[in-house]
Amino acid sequence: MTGTSPLLQARQVFKGFFGNPVLKGVDIALHPGRVHALLGENGAGKSTLINLLSGALQPDSGAILVDGRPVGRFSPAAARAAGIAVVQQELSLTADLSIAENIGLGAYPRRFGLIDYGALHRGVREVCDMVGLTEPLDMPVADLALGRRQMVEIAKALFRKPRVLILDEPTSSLSAHEAGILARLIETLRDRGVALLYISHRLNEVQALCSHVTVLKDGGVTADQSLAGIDGEGLVRLMVGRETGDLFPARPAPGPGATRIVVENFSAGLVRDIAFSARSGEIVGIGGLVGQGQEDLLLGLYGAIPAKASRAEVCGAPRLPGHVGDANAAGIVYVPADRKHEGLVLPHSIASNLILPSLGRLARGGFRNRAGESGLIADLARRLAIKGDVARPVQALSGGNQQKVALAKWLPLDPSVLLLNDPTRGVDIETKREIYLMLRAFAAEGRLVILASSDTPELVHLSDRVVVLREGRVAATLEGAAISEEAIVGAAMGVRKQGEAA
Amino acid sequence: MSAVSSAGRLYGAIQGRRNRGLGGLYLVVAAFLVLYAVLFPGILSVGGFSKFTQNWFPLALVTMAQALLMLNGGITLAIGPLVSLGAVIAATTMEGVLGVPGGILAVALAGLAIGAVTGAIVAHLRLPAIIVTLAGSFIITGVALILLPRPGGFIPDWLSTTLAGHTPVAFLLLVLILVFWKAFLATPLGIGIYAAGDNPIGAFRSGVPVERVKIVAFALSGLLTALAGLFVAAQTGSGDPVIGAPFTLNSIAAAVLGGVGFLGGKGTMRGAICGSLLLSVMINVMFFLGFPPVAQYVAQGLIIVGAVAVPELLKQWKARR
Repeated sequence: MTGTSPLLQARQVFKGFFGNPVLKGVDIALHPGRVHALLGENGAGKSTLINLLSGALQPDSGAILVDGRPVGRFSPAAARAAGIAVVQQELSLTADLSIAENIGLGAYPRRFGLIDYGALHRGVREVCDMVGLTEPLDMPVADLALGRRQMVEIAKALFRKPRVLILDEPTSSLSAHEAGILARLIETLRDRGVALLYISHRLNEVQALCSHVTVLKDGGVTADQSLAGIDGEGLVRLMVGRETGDLFPARPAPGPGATRIVVENFSAGLVRDIAFSARSGEIVGIGGLVGQGQEDLLLGLYGAIPAKASRAEVCGAPRLPGHVGDANAAGIVYVPADRKHEGLVLPHSIASNLILPSLGRLARGGFRNRAGESGLIADLARRLAIKGDVARPVQALSGGNQQKVALAKWLPLDPSVLLLNDPTRGVDIETKREIYLMLRAFAAEGRLVILASSDTPELVHLSDRVVVLREGRVAATLEGAAISEEAIVGAAMGVRKQGEAA
Repeated sequence: MSAVSSAGRLYGAIQGRRNRGLGGLYLVVAAFLVLYAVLFPGILSVGGFSKFTQNWFPLALVTMAQALLMLNGGITLAIGPLVSLGAVIAATTMEGVLGVPGGILAVALAGLAIGAVTGAIVAHLRLPAIIVTLAGSFIITGVALILLPRPGGFIPDWLSTTLAGHTPVAFLLLVLILVFWKAFLATPLGIGIYAAGDNPIGAFRSGVPVERVKIVAFALSGLLTALAGLFVAAQTGSGDPVIGAPFTLNSIAAAVLGGVGFLGGKGTMRGAICGSLLLSVMINVMFFLGFPPVAQYVAQGLIIVGAVAVPELLKQWKARR
């Protein structure tokens, strides 16, 4: 791909927040007709670099160049005028506005100062067809599932007719089917000469789609090279800068554990009439397309949403937990997928977040026990290798470290059942590995881990058993050698099993 | 497919969907209006209708002013004082050399300017709207009392007769204002109010000028509030530096009754207008039925809590089935 000149370029950009340098002299050049991967652990500076490239932030020094010319004051509006569009990881949608109004936001076609709804309709229809959005365009975004909202976000970027398209973790909430549509779309745009920047923690996607890679580590560029001839291991090596061994810990032979959870005719939310059981020492994976009842299964077992069952035995009790306190008392804990809203109190310190579930247990005579708390905090921070000052607000941490805090806060309760909802979403690869090791260790200690995940390789390599949900029912239960990506995806999509010829 | 029909189809579909969400509210408002007409058939005459809408008009304006800011994720506690100031400015400027047009212009400019300054402070200094407008309410009250320490001033009789006489001029003005609002909402800036209210960061990244949207929202809110003050002055025939006091909380109550949420981006202006109409009817009914003022306050509070609780309970009930 030499010979073309870059459409968008960052040259020696520096950026810091409150005295903490985040980017220390970064160069990147996006060429037309090329899918460029941006890799780096969380906290490496990827989001900041994207914000600089899209005008949402200004560099402290260095320059952003469009078509080889430095831009003066850059803003999101100026970036749009230059043909730069971003698919944000944090959705930029307005829940109560319609799909069409969301897609056009900030780029409405106008006539006499008013929004030209006719032109808007045609433009939106076109981009929705490209991404396979068939929902009525007047539907409020609030009525869409997360994966569909992500597709709206992608359509919104396309609506701006970008010459440069930046995609930040676009597949983290997409189903396999939707991710496939996106992959084909990326190839089409590339062939039309669009410059693409692709950020993903899913290395197989990076390998399949991208031809060039820039790797960030601690705010600096550690690699800027072609992806030809680099395999997954090589990518991981580039990112972490050393040999990693296998991402997934070895799976020990399953030991016969005592049955911890049995439910029959279990219904909760989207889940309808399923039978489910799990033993201690097991990691049970819950798979399926986005929004098939995975979350409701976990929440129902956790007593957080109304659930019913014809027979239930949960941690020795002959019934389902009636509420969350009940579940906690029985040793059941839940780590939500949306850690920013449900898992953590973002503006509070790491220490306060870690101690929150233990406050009552530690209290003496109704008052907080500061000495006991600080001992526990120090212990947890050490066990989780959380670096730095625990008095920092938890929102200052990278996604991966936030997730570690959301998980670690439960450990003092010595839980016997851990319900985890997509624990590695938007988490860097190194932290993923730490979390996997932790889950394996939990199982080895005789705890039961129930893991709902949208990351199929994770289910394959980590689970002793995988339950695939489809439309609220069990589509398949896979065990041992039967667990494979093909089997999970096939069951999730309702594909009948073909003869096992191969 | 012609541009006009596809424009009409999408726009109509979006509007229709918003109306469907408000069906329950429309029914309640209609029921109250029928009840009112049965109790007081006078409303069905031109004069009765005029009087009724004149009682409603200032509340409708301040509710719009409040809803505008709540939709943008803000709130204002300066409604009452700004209504008073609008009334005071009207009553002190209309005998000047520029007469009634000069007075109207002065009121409008004062509302716009006070709103814009408040909005600029909230948007650029990133201070919470509730604190800034609380501070503003003290300052505005003080200014109103300096301009006109006790009720008085001058409003020409013909203006009072035109606005608050036996013709439905107030109602027609409200319709006109609603038409302007619809047009404003069909501009990128108007939709920006919703977008920046629900998801400010996302709106900013989408290229919405979030700060400008906020300043415009506060300025328009100030304009509507000050004009409500002008109307109140015309209604009473004089300026009164504290006459607006009840409007602050009533504007919030009416917006909430109409389904406007506190967190921004949730609700509709048509809902807020219905909310103000509902509140106005309830206040009138209780007044005419001879409720003592204390009972009126208690009833008003219970109805507002009920109005917020009922849809929530319905939602939970539906979810459980």
